[in-house]
Parts: sequence; C-alpha cells; structure tokens
Amino acid sequence: MVQKFRTLLLTCLALTLTASLAWGAPLDAFTGKQGTIDIAGGTAHIPVMKEAAKRIMTANPEIRISIAGGGSGVGVQQVGEGLVQIGNTGRALSEAEVAKYGLVSFPFAIDGVAIVINPANGVDALTAEQVKGIYAGKITNWKQIGGADRAISLYTRDEASGTREVFFKKLLAKGDIATSANVVPSNGAMKTAVAQDPGAVGYVGIGYIDATVKAPSMDGMIPSQENAANGSYTVTRKLYMNTKGEPSALVRTFIDYLLTPEGAEIIRASGYIPLAQ
Amino acid sequence: MSVRESRIASLVLGASAIIVALAVLAVFAFLFKFALPVFTGGQGACILSGVWNPFKGQFGILPMLAASLCISLSALLIGWPLALGLCCCMHGFTPRPLGRFLSILLRGMTAFPTVVYGFAAIFLLVPVMREALGHGSGLNWATAALILSLVTLPTMTLVMDAGMHQTERRLRLTGAALGLNRQQVFSHLVLPACRSDLLAAAALGFARALGDTLIPLMLAGNAPQWPTAASDSIRTLTAHIGLVLATDSSSATYGSLFVAGCLLLLANMCVQLMLRTHLRTRGAA
Amino acid sequence: MLALVGVLLRNGTGALGQALFFDSVPPLAAITGQVPVWDGIWPACVGTLSLLALTMLLALGPGIGCGIYLASYASPRIKALLGFAIDLLAGVPSIVMGLFGFTLLLTLRHSAAPNAGPCLLLASCCLALLVLPVLVSTTRGALEALPRQLHLSGAALGLCRWKTMRHILLPAAARGILSGVLLAAGRAAEDTAVIMLTGAVANAGLPAGLTARFEALPFTIFYRSSQYRDALDLQQGFATTLVLLALSLALLAAATRLQRALDQRWQGIRTNRPTQHADRHA
Repeated sequence: MVQKFRTLLLTCLALTLTASLAWGAPLDAFTGKQGTIDIAGGTAHIPVMKEAAKRIMTANPEIRISIAGGGSGVGVQQVGEGLVQIGNTGRALSEAEVAKYGLVSFPFAIDGVAIVINPANGVDALTAEQVKGIYAGKITNWKQIGGADRAISLYTRDEASGTREVFFKKLLAKGDIATSANVVPSNGAMKTAVAQDPGAVGYVGIGYIDATVKAPSMDGMIPSQENAANGSYTVTRKLYMNTKGEPSALVRTFIDYLLTPEGAEIIRASGYIPLAQ
Repeated sequence: MSVRESRIASLVLGASAIIVALAVLAVFAFLFKFALPVFTGGQGACILSGVWNPFKGQFGILPMLAASLCISLSALLIGWPLALGLCCCMHGFTPRPLGRFLSILLRGMTAFPTVVYGFAAIFLLVPVMREALGHGSGLNWATAALILSLVTLPTMTLVMDAGMHQTERRLRLTGAALGLNRQQVFSHLVLPACRSDLLAAAALGFARALGDTLIPLMLAGNAPQWPTAASDSIRTLTAHIGLVLATDSSSATYGSLFVAGCLLLLANMCVQLMLRTHLRTRGAA
Repeated sequence: MLALVGVLLRNGTGALGQALFFDSVPPLAAITGQVPVWDGIWPACVGTLSLLALTMLLALGPGIGCGIYLASYASPRIKALLGFAIDLLAGVPSIVMGLFGFTLLLTLRHSAAPNAGPCLLLASCCLALLVLPVLVSTTRGALEALPRQLHLSGAALGLCRWKTMRHILLPAAARGILSGVLLAAGRAAEDTAVIMLTGAVANAGLPAGLTARFEALPFTIFYRSSQYRDALDLQQGFATTLVLLALSLALLAAATRLQRALDQRWQGIRTNRPTQHADRHA
C-alpha cells in the first residue's frame, strides 16, 4: 500500500517536473533578449499571438510585442513594407507577393472554414452543390433545400479576408458570389449577423463557432477541428507567419516558441490545430 | 514694447494661417498623387465603371458612389426636418423646461461616439428593420440612413440653433413693435431671416453623413450593388475604403481605394461650392 | 436615445468592474505600468487620453491662431480663399484623413525616415488635421459674432489691434471658442477611422512614447464588436462603450461648467460696465 502510494507520489513529482520543464524551457529562449516585435495581419491569429505575447512579456518585460489585426492583406503589405516584423496571413502567399517583397513563410496551425446558419434554422446538412447554388443566388429560399419557408440572406467576407479566399477556392470552387450578398468585415461580425438573422447563411473559421450559430454538415463531413486535423474535413487552411527575408534572432525565437509544445498548447486553446514541425 | 508684441502676434497668427493652408494643400496633394498612377496605369476606366467583381477583373466603384450619395441624401431628408423641428421646439413652441431639456440632450448627443451608435444599432435596430421590411437581412440602406440621421441630428440642430439665437435677438424688438408674440416672430421673421444658417446646417449634415465610415460599414450591408430599394444592402465609398484597404497593394482593388478617396473629396467640394454660389447669388439679390 | 442608453447599460454593467480595466493584474501595478495588462481596457484608456492630449496640443495653436487671423487680420481675398480651404478640410471624411496619414507614412519611409512606422505622433497629427477646421471656424465665428461696439471701444481707447484682441475681443469670445475646443476634443476622442490606419493596434500595453503604437478606446470597441469570441468578450465590448461614453460626457460636463463660469463673469461685466473692464486691463 505504502509502496504503491510512494510510486504514485514519485510519478506525480516526475510529471510535475517534466511539465514545469516543458513550461519553463521554451520561454528560457527569451532570457537576456530585448527589443520589440510588431505583428499585424490575419484576424484569426490574434488570440494565439496575444497569449504568446502575454507569456513572453510576463517572463521578460524587456521585450515589447504589439499585435494589430487588419486582415491577411494588411499582414503581407505591412511586413513587405517593413512596418512590422511579422505579417500574419490566413492563406499561402501568392507568387507575386513573394517575388515583390522577398517574404518567408512559417506555417504554424490549421484552421477549418465552415458554413454557419442560424440555430433556429431546421437545415442540418448541406452539399457543396447547394452552397454553390445559394451563393450564386440561384437558391433563394430555405424551402428549396428542405428548410422552412424563409428567404435566404447571404453573408460573405471582404475581399482581403483569408477566410473568404479558402471558402471561395475550396467550397465554391471559384463559383459566383451574388452581388447582393452582404459583406461583413470580420469573423465576429459574421457571427453576430448570422446569430441574429433567422434566414442567414455565412461562413467562419471553425475556431469561432459557438452556441450562437449552427454549423451544418457539409457533404456529410462534420466541421470540427478534430476532423480538420485528421483530414476528414477538407475545407481547411493553414495559418502563416511571414517575415521579410530571414527573421532576426528575436523574431526567430518568437516563431520557434509557437512551434514548441507550449506554443502548440496555446494554439489548441485558441481553437486551432497546431502544425507539428 | 507694445508695438513689438503686436508685431509678434500678427506674425504668429499669420504663421498659423499658413500652417493650416499648407496642411489643406498637403492632404489634397497626397491623395491625388496616389490616385494618379491608377489613371496613368490604364486602370482608370476600369475603376470608373459600374460593376465591382474583383475576381473577374471588374473594379467599378460607381455603385459605391451612388450608394454614398443615396445614403447621405436620405439621412439628410430624415434628419434635416427633424433638426428644424427640434429647433422650433427650443425657440418657444414648447414649454421652457422641455426646450432646455432638449438642448441639454442634444449637446450630450454630440459627445456620443459614432461607434457606439453602430454597436447598439446592430443589436437594436437591425432585427426590427429585418422584421419590418419582411425580407433581407436588416443590414441595408434604410437602417444606415436612419442611424446616420441620428448621428448628424445634433450637429445640424446646434448650427441652426446658434444662427437663430443671434437672429432672434436682433429681431425681437422689431417683432414686439409689430405686436407679434414669440411664436409669430419666430415663424414670420426669424425663420426667413436665417435661411443661410439652415442651408449651412444641411451642408454640414450632408458632409458628416457622406464622410462617416463606421455606420455604413457596420449597418449598410456592404454589397457592391446599385441602390434600388430601401431594403437593399449597399456599400458606400467610405466603407469600401475600410474594406479593401487590407488587400494586396499591387492590385487594382487597392488602387480603387485612392480613387474612392478622391471622389469623396470631390463630392464634398461640389457641396461647398454649391452652398457658396447660392449664398453669393442670394447676397447679391 | 433613451432606449440606446438603456440597452447599453443593461448589457454593459455586468462587465463593469476592476476586471474590465485591469484583467487580473493588481490595479496599482497596472496604473503605474509595472505589470502589463492584457485583457483589460486600461491601456486603451491611457492611449485615448494621451492621444487626445497630444492632438489638442498640436491643433489648438494653429486652430485658434488661424481663426483669429481670419476674423480680424486677413484681407477679404485671403479670407475667402482660406475660408474655402478650411471648409473643404472640414468636409474631408475621417477615413480619407486616415488614408492621408497612411500615404504620408509610405512617402516618409521612401524618403526622409525609412524607419518610421504607424505611431502615436502620426495618429495625433492626422487627428489634429481632422479637428482643425472645427477650431478655426468656431473661433472665427465667435469673434465675428461680437457686437461692433466692442471693436470700436478698443480703438476708442487707443489700443492697437492686438491689444484690442487680447484684452477685449478674446475674453468676450471665450465662450464660443471654448465650445469649439470642446467639440474638437469630442471628435478627437471618438474618431476610429483615422487611428485605425495610423497606429492603433489591438494590443500594445501602455503607450511607450511618441513613436510607439498604442491602444485606444474607440478602436477597442470596434475591434471587440467585430472579433469577439464569446459572450463575455461581447459584454466587455458593451462595458467599454459605457466607459468611452462616460469619458465623452465628463468632457462635456467639465466644459459646460467652465462655460457657465465664464458666462457669468462676462455677462455681468458686459451689460453693466464694458469700458471700465477695458480700462482695468489697459
């Protein structure tokens, strides 16, 4: 009995020790360093960046990290112009962008993009064909696809959004989006709109889905981060950090930090799937 | 000593006038400078066309211009009569305490941040509009125009009120001599006499409504289509700037942003010029 | 209006409290900046206040100076031209002003200052430009609305133009000028579009200087309303709205009090003994 207890105690101790090592170690990379890191770009990245910055700046107050949103386009532009050190994008860079600014990309997480509808909507499953029809403006009432008799109101994202780009390429296969579709500037605004409008259809990053909206299955695929990670949900994108040329030592440490187990934990807590290096 | 002081004073004052003038020039020069390459680069015709579909290479921002004008004009149509009415209330058509309360309320409203109106309207007005119009999403021309009229209301009312206050003071004795009471003085003497103030208030309200970004961005729906009905989701030039600022800086989408800025400036200049010519011709006559 | 405030109150009061401002950091440490605040709005409050102070610092001098110049120094031709320019500037939408700041920054980076970035100084310069016309036209309006006798009484006392201005006209117009300053401050405090493009960020801690990025309340509200992830975030958004509102109203109340005080002082003098007042100053 005592023996058993002692083993348990030892295991516990060992576990806490390794845990604390795992916790302490990645941040140690920042000791003795100082300087500023400015980050801008994709709005989906902000929670991850914020949490990482919080931990780093708490451990080492000599480092200042500022985080701005703005969207993937802003990320590319600002890092390219040298206004920030890290520009985040929710999509892979275009060749033109890489060529113009000499950017280097560091993917660090996977995010799924899912169709969302109002929770009061009876529709539980959609097919890609139906979604194309809806967004092209050919299907205009929920009763045409087995729902209640209510006009469909379309919501889409702005031209600079990485979420929109993934949706447009992977789900719509570059099909038409009706010009009468409402355009909202962010994931949160999309959620507010869809949560309030019983006839709404929109799309958000899976990390943003909560009880206020409903995500119907897509061609039989259930949109969840697990499924996005194991490949059974295919409307996904990677989240990238981009630097102009090779990153400086401090920026490099920041990027590496997000790829450590502690970084992975932050990414998971923000609702994304960490990308194993 | 005093001569020197006054010399310095006029120098300083002149200098500040020059600073202001330079600032105005700089704003205009920079925007036109950044808009010019768009036209010389051959994208001009494309941007000044009627269809916005960047994925098919169509970058027309004329629908946005139309939307901007429609929204601000309709906001003016709702807000201006209301402002006039409130002004009448404050000048003797209602009991004094109510008038005082109104004036305090209006001054408080000037301190209301725009973003607060937008934030609250999303949760308050949008669902109401959706049900009232029976279709659409509630993010539309009518919603944005209503809130914009509310935003511009205090500014317009206060400008009118300031003008009327002066005029009323000047005409009070005349009115009394004619044996008119306060209401009669107001409607027969003061109102006609301060037409230019009413116009200036309208111009100011129009400029505010035209220039507001957050209200249309949050409430008008931002669909790049021509406005045809009050329940249409439309995108104004200002919202357009906010939305496309984040795009790739080498694309025509990005170029359209500076053209949009210039169009806004031009629209404003037109309003100012119209106001000025009107006042001048009236003044001459 | 009442409904609006009511809804804000209902949704926001729940989140009002220490946690809203300072997150889990002890207030004293947070206020002095020893410990960075992450999820509270304290840095945004400080950001907005410093932005406001800097903007007014930049705008007051040229604004009021130019107003005085236009009211009594300028020739009719300059008056018409400059007046028109200022009316034009008044009509520049705030997002266009932000765009101007952004292009200015890009130009600066390609020429004089390659390391310049969006910052507090740039944002307040652009904001100053935005509120300048308000200052100029209210100052001018207040001076021009003064009764003609006041101008004459200065001349009659043998005062030069500047002395008349300094001792007679300016005190008399103080009320009007003050309301202009107030209007300008209100606009500077609430504007979102300009700072969105010139330096406000989602997270920067307390402002670290003129060349650092900063947080600001209006931007925080916009950001929270568009990026919230759960109900608490949204509730904090409402509460932030309340804080900004309280700040604006406090500004207004202070100015009104000041105005009333000035009014009493001046009205008593103006209606009774204008010349004595001028004498005393001269």
